[in-house]
Amino acid sequence: MILFTVFGAPVRAEWLLDAAAAVKYDSNLTRAANGPDVRPGFAAALDASAGDFIAITGNDGVTLTAHARAESHVRYHGLDVAGIGGTAVYRHKFGVGWAAPWAALTVDGSYERYRSEIRDGASFDVRAEAGRRFTERVDALIGIACDRRYAPNERPEVPGIPGNPFALAGQRVYVQAGYALGEQWLFVLDAAIRRGDVESTSQQGAAVFAASSAIAEDPAFGDERLYAYRLRGTTATLGGTLSFALNDHASVDLRYRYASTRSPQSLEYRTSNVALLLAYRL
Amino acid sequence: MRDLEKIAALALFVAIAGAARGQTPGIDVRVVDRQGTPVADAVVVAVPADPNVRLPARLAQGNVVDQIDKQFVPRVQVVEVGTAVTFPNNDHVRHQVYSFSPARRFELPLYAGVPAKPILFDKPGIVVLGCNIHDWMIGYIYVSESPYFAKTRADGTAVLANLPPRAYVVRVWHPQMSVAEETTHKTVDVIPGPHANAAWTLELKPETGIRRAPAPGQGRGY
Repeated sequence: MILFTVFGAPVRAEWLLDAAAAVKYDSNLTRAANGPDVRPGFAAALDASAGDFIAITGNDGVTLTAHARAESHVRYHGLDVAGIGGTAVYRHKFGVGWAAPWAALTVDGSYERYRSEIRDGASFDVRAEAGRRFTERVDALIGIACDRRYAPNERPEVPGIPGNPFALAGQRVYVQAGYALGEQWLFVLDAAIRRGDVESTSQQGAAVFAASSAIAEDPAFGDERLYAYRLRGTTATLGGTLSFALNDHASVDLRYRYASTRSPQSLEYRTSNVALLLAYRL
Repeated sequence: MRDLEKIAALALFVAIAGAARGQTPGIDVRVVDRQGTPVADAVVVAVPADPNVRLPARLAQGNVVDQIDKQFVPRVQVVEVGTAVTFPNNDHVRHQVYSFSPARRFELPLYAGVPAKPILFDKPGIVVLGCNIHDWMIGYIYVSESPYFAKTRADGTAVLANLPPRAYVVRVWHPQMSVAEETTHKTVDVIPGPHANAAWTLELKPETGIRRAPAPGQGRGY
């Protein structure tokens, strides 16, 4: 397929198809600071994307993909979600060979629709990354990102305080390192620090009220006592993924991720995520 | 004296029997790993033990390394020094083939189809191939100083055929071999008639190349 011409040379696109199915457990779906408000839960998720990689030169490539995802929760169906979006990635390699460092700019946009419509909305994520493969076994990357989520379905609860706690914005810095344990096994460690808006669902309280910039009733958990609050916070995340390649196109991943968020008024919540994924790439 | 006559008669019989089967002098090779599993893609090279022997030129054939389904095919190619190799791209996407190996450094800028010029391999050694777009692609060209070489098949066997009868130093190389190629030297006498045999048991390292399968945190695209 010839898409367009750069510097007079035909540019051929490379068709990409990715799909993943996962089962997930989250220890704190509500992102609640207090034990009685914490709601753990299981979910099943499907993720698919299709697109083109276009090698503009030997060192520059652009990937354009459309993606869709769906997630269904075992207990809290208000969190069930379907979303579509698109991603554009520009990647430059500083040299030739697998050891050459690279840099990439990614712009991702999506629209997600939840059963609990207060969460509906578009979100955008812009990332700048740089990385390098040091040996055939070891590679690493560092990145910075900005994210923004819109939530137009406001439900004001308190006069003078916005009712869109799921409208969030933040910035983060992250690192990731991979180590190939053998022909098929790969271990990836990742860590991130994010500053910005976070959402926490809990019962009413003076501390969370004082710290919040938006409040709305949160019907997703079937408990009328629970409200969603938007807070400012810093989230530290640490994760590890053990991946087993079934063949050249498929792998099974077991992922664990721990996150701790600190907000003003000494509010702090923690979450643990475990996911088992089957990933396929054409 | 009678014993000597018997041995001579037996040798003559074996030689005639071999010739009757159309068998030219050579070496039957078998390569297995420590578990006894046949090793494919092992390169076997025979060099006359006498350094004064002048080596004939081998007819160039099959000097191609294809790119099919984003892999080098064959993964291991053996050529004699002084051979030109072409790198046709049979994929629908472009590749950028390169090597940083001391035996031959080269780079074929992003291309589709067949590059206009083949690459000449004029130094013996091992040339590791890569693609700058698809990092998992890896291939090897073994550039042999001798025209007497072969590559093992899936059953771990190979035949070094049409060898002029004399003594040879035979060695083996494989991409995953954990020892130096020089440690595999064997001296083999090739005589008219039946093939000589040579066998190796190799210690192979696990393959730790860059994987093609989806990797965590890889994102979309390359």
